[in-house]
Amino acid sequence: MGLTIEKSQSSDGSLIRVVGEVDLYSSPELRKAILKAIPSADGGLAIDLESVTYIDSSGVATLVEGLRSAREHDVGFVLVAPSPAVRQVLELARLDSIFEVR
Amino acid sequence: MNRDLHLTVRSDPKLLASVRSLVRSWVNSWEVDEKTADEVVLAIDEACTNAIRHAYEGRRDGSVELTLHAAEKHLEFQVSDSGVPCPPECTERRPLHPPDVDDMQPGGLGIQLIHKVFDEVDFCPGVSGGNCVTMKLKRSK
Repeated sequence: MGLTIEKSQSSDGSLIRVVGEVDLYSSPELRKAILKAIPSADGGLAIDLESVTYIDSSGVATLVEGLRSAREHDVGFVLVAPSPAVRQVLELARLDSIFEVR
Repeated sequence: MNRDLHLTVRSDPKLLASVRSLVRSWVNSWEVDEKTADEVVLAIDEACTNAIRHAYEGRRDGSVELTLHAAEKHLEFQVSDSGVPCPPECTERRPLHPPDVDDMQPGGLGIQLIHKVFDEVDFCPGVSGGNCVTMKLKRSK
């Protein structure tokens, strides 16, 4: 199934839409996209996770790294509509409370 | 009938999706609820990821062996490699991260997920060097 990353820009800020499976193979691509987007995301960065069918610890670590980097740049970082697969892993890792979810 | 599954794959992250799919089919052939099946697939993926990232240090020419075995009282999963042995302190069970992003340590999350998902987890040196992790899930009655 693989991973697709779509970037868009609106008056509300930047959006990265993630579709498919995030694992050891695909998470470096997501990491690159998130870390690249943060410095110029003036209105904040939203990560749409509605269509993520699988995420592992490398994907979760990527989101945590994104959150940290966003804080350093004083940029908002929110997760949008995380899918059940994402919620399940965030809860299992006890990391569901550190992210702002919209 | 022996329904054990033995699988040897190269230490290539590209192959993890296929491994997950095989593990899911096998787990689904037993009485395991969907949420538990999701967690087992994740934990086995994490064990393979550890072998690729740490034991083989990202090399793709190593081999990772999986054995899935149904015993009377539990489902047993074994993942082994012939790479660099993991230091014991890396495989210990620890409390999961505090919900404070600044206190979080990078890495090690996969191992803690494995501990969380299974009823019994045993990390030991592999037969010919490397690592072997055995994970047991109690079977529902």
